[in-house]
Amino acid sequence: MHKSNGSNKSMINRQGDWRTRFEFRAMIVAFIFAPFLPFIISKPLATEIIVYGLFALGFNLLLGHTGIISFGHAAYLGVGAYSAAMIVFYGEVGVWLALLAATIGGLLVAIMIGILAIKRKGAYFAMISLAIGQMFFFLTLSPLTRWTGGEDGLKLPPLSIDFPLYVNLSNQLHLYFFILTIGCLATLAQWRILNSPFGHVLRAIRENEDRIRACGYNVSRVKFLSLIFSGLFSGLAGGLLVVYLGAASINLLFWMTSGVIVMKTVLGGTHTFFGPVIGAGVFLFLRSTISEYTDRWELWLGALFMVLILLFREGIWGSLLNLIEKRFYHSKL
Amino acid sequence: MLLETKSICKYFGGLKAVDDVDFRLEQGRLKSIIGPNGAGKTTFFNLVSGLYAPTHGSILFKDKDISNMSINDRSQLGITKTYQLTHIFPRLTVFENVRLAAQSRHTIFNFWRRAYSLSEVNDKALAVLEHLGLLKVQSRIAAELSHGEKKYLEIGIALATEPEVLLLDEPTAGMSPAETIEATHIISRLAKELSLNIILIEHDMSVVMEISDEIMVLHEGRKLAEGTPNEISANEIVQNVYLGKGASRDA
Repeated sequence: MHKSNGSNKSMINRQGDWRTRFEFRAMIVAFIFAPFLPFIISKPLATEIIVYGLFALGFNLLLGHTGIISFGHAAYLGVGAYSAAMIVFYGEVGVWLALLAATIGGLLVAIMIGILAIKRKGAYFAMISLAIGQMFFFLTLSPLTRWTGGEDGLKLPPLSIDFPLYVNLSNQLHLYFFILTIGCLATLAQWRILNSPFGHVLRAIRENEDRIRACGYNVSRVKFLSLIFSGLFSGLAGGLLVVYLGAASINLLFWMTSGVIVMKTVLGGTHTFFGPVIGAGVFLFLRSTISEYTDRWELWLGALFMVLILLFREGIWGSLLNLIEKRFYHSKL
Repeated sequence: MLLETKSICKYFGGLKAVDDVDFRLEQGRLKSIIGPNGAGKTTFFNLVSGLYAPTHGSILFKDKDISNMSINDRSQLGITKTYQLTHIFPRLTVFENVRLAAQSRHTIFNFWRRAYSLSEVNDKALAVLEHLGLLKVQSRIAAELSHGEKKYLEIGIALATEPEVLLLDEPTAGMSPAETIEATHIISRLAKELSLNIILIEHDMSVVMEISDEIMVLHEGRKLAEGTPNEISANEIVQNVYLGKGASRDA
């Protein structure tokens, strides 16, 4: 039965509704099994899944939770990545400072896009964010070539960490565990944010923006903050990507990156918390598997994507949650 | 004076939706606005609640000019409205719908706390649900409610923001006669228990006559008459324009 809320009228569980509690448990299970992942699939693939999972979570803060469509998320990831790479390359600082720089990079992009576009809705916001994303791509590609390395990107020397304990990031397994640790902490942080009073308002904006404004909330401010958080997580993902790749590459800023993150998130399920991670995992796994057999992996992946979306209307994780909820939860009521 | 409009106007291009309306609401009163379709009732509500800015004229709340205040700031001040077409959060639970409204009176810039652990907000939401008889359905998804329940939820969202002035836009629209009677009782009970000041738009004349302290009649954007229910039903101009046809149809 539900826990008492200090009031016998309440059927509300303080931990959240059934789905929230189920997803939290699923997330813990994922954390427990994640250390075994690099022994099942290749270590680079496992690392990539964690990094892009975090990026997708940051992206879905806007798309799934606040209901804002962003087509320029490459900017957050890419600027985060270049901030990290440049501060290591020119400042010769350590990994921690690089990750901090990446997060701040994502934050600054969010502030910029927020100021310019947060009052715009739907397609207008999407187009402005796409345009700004492309602006960062071209800036990095040519006028700033002297600092960014242009088309070649920035290649970093081997990285390691001395504090709080020594980690040799050239070792693929150590690298994986380092990125997994950061990824788990960031995921937990986002979990807390989404279940806070603030996070609940995000969902209300998605459901009915006019009504929640009429309830007395300053919707623009809440949306702006949602964008800021999305930028922080996406920027951090960009920093982790640099640590993983040992380089910042111009592809990260290309609009395709913005498009692929939409695919990953939708594939996993936007109206869920953990769906984007699942989506990123399935997408990257399929891509690496298919590309072993054929050079035309994009064709097959695209076809598979369509089949999966038709099969799982709410995304893989979203549809699974619906199914489990119907079978095991509502049958008990 | 609690709430007052001074020669307020709202024009949409050439259409004078609300034209030079003076309106006064005193503390502790329930005042209804009636008038044929297109008389400007809902536009008037949108002006008071802050959805529209007036073309001319001013709105005073406790003698303070609020004409240019945003809808969210007016809600924080204590003026809120319900919507003619239900305007809820469809995929959230009934409890969460009302809890969100109650939460609007607290700071939300606390990112680490669990929303459901704000006991004060929970209790407020539950109290509102109890007032409206929605406790049984609190964990249902709002979109799954019956029409009547959605109407109550609509009122619940407004009530949970603890308004001083509540604007109800056709709360009984689409309800069966039995439901309408029940809703009427609930509204007049709420007005007394929560010492609410209510402005009501309603088509059902029996409801209006039963629960109003005062009535304002709008016609083509202008104020036609104003007075107690008895004065209004005795008013000849009103009978000609509105009540004569309306009363027989609604009866």
